[in-house]
Amino acid sequence: MIHSLRMGNDSKAMQKIPDWNTYLLKVGTSQDKAAFGALFEYFSPRLKTFLMQGSNLSAENAEELVQEAMTKVWRRAPSFAPTQASASTWIYTIARNTRIDWFRKNSRQDPLLFHAEDLYGDNEEASPYSTLAQLRSTVSIHEQLNELPQEQSEVLNIMYFKGLSGQQTAEALAIPLGTVKSRIRLALKKLRVGLAVTGGNSGQGTNND
Amino acid sequence: MISKHPDPQALVEYSSGTLALATSIAVTTHLQLCRTCADATSSLNNLGGDMIDQAEATPVSEDLLQKVLSSIDEEPTKNADHNRTRSSVVDDVAHALPHYVRALLPQGSLQWQFLSPSLRVATLSVGEEENELALHRIKAGGKAPEHNHAGQEITVVLTGTFSDEEGIYQPGDFIVRQPGDVHRPMAAQNEECICLSVLAAPIKLTGINRLMNPFLRFSPS
Repeated sequence: MIHSLRMGNDSKAMQKIPDWNTYLLKVGTSQDKAAFGALFEYFSPRLKTFLMQGSNLSAENAEELVQEAMTKVWRRAPSFAPTQASASTWIYTIARNTRIDWFRKNSRQDPLLFHAEDLYGDNEEASPYSTLAQLRSTVSIHEQLNELPQEQSEVLNIMYFKGLSGQQTAEALAIPLGTVKSRIRLALKKLRVGLAVTGGNSGQGTNND
Repeated sequence: MISKHPDPQALVEYSSGTLALATSIAVTTHLQLCRTCADATSSLNNLGGDMIDQAEATPVSEDLLQKVLSSIDEEPTKNADHNRTRSSVVDDVAHALPHYVRALLPQGSLQWQFLSPSLRVATLSVGEEENELALHRIKAGGKAPEHNHAGQEITVVLTGTFSDEEGIYQPGDFIVRQPGDVHRPMAAQNEECICLSVLAAPIKLTGINRLMNPFLRFSPS
């Protein structure tokens, strides 16, 4: 049975995103099921799209993963800290990790020795001195993305939303890997993602600094 | 001068979840010791959050929320996601490894193989065919044999320091060598150096090449 969610049907009209951080905090501090229900209604249909597009999953498998991810959202909510990441970013990382493990589980026979969460968990917290910049960039990340030249935002869209690697993105766009690399570098510069000063090229292909 | 950080493409792949597992282990290890790259990664995660916000809504089954709520009610205390493998650790080096690397050692110990008087290697299985993950251990003051790579090699220093023709590397440094780069790492005089390495496996080498290229081993025993 497919239930049509009124709220989720018109994402374009929803310019202003409700304060999901507050909802998530309520779930974390007082196991608030109503707040969780609201989060579920907003995020589940979007996660489903994200998982279906990014991973070529069937609707059934995508729902399985949505269920798993949203269960984790409930369980991990006590550790959510809005000073570290917005609710959307935090939920994104949970969905991404769930997807990584799902593919690992399905591509091998032996059991997983650790979960993506174990690998990613320790270092995705912003340091205190970057938190302010972090919050600023959270507020405006969408506007900043919109201001990128189309060829740069296209590369990031494909990599995040379609779940393609840099190499696969180059193939999908029929451009050299070096061009993908330089578009990423330029985009990150415009998005003011602070990168380590590097003395040379560490990757393959040609970088145009 | 060689870069000691993952390139932006690798950080984006890490954040978007498409980086190979072995490489992700190397990046994670770097991020724990590099604040700049860790902050860049958490900024990049915002792109993923924004993609979720901008995603079209695909209706989910009517009973999905109920399924989630009942699975929560059924097991209120069980935290299935944190059933980490606890290996009994008998090896000093294994003991000092990050927990996600230790988790790859079901027996809790490393099988060190002798490659030269100064160099030992222990391969780790991550279940990926395209990459081999290994630990290298160079004795204090020791030199690894000069070697060449058939595939890209990533090295992250865990403890100690080593140097080669191009620089000196400290814990956390992330070094990428391309196929054809020849180098001869040497550990500092006062301390053993332990590194994590990820070797891309473009071709399978045969016996004689293995002897000539001790870093290129594809059959963990």
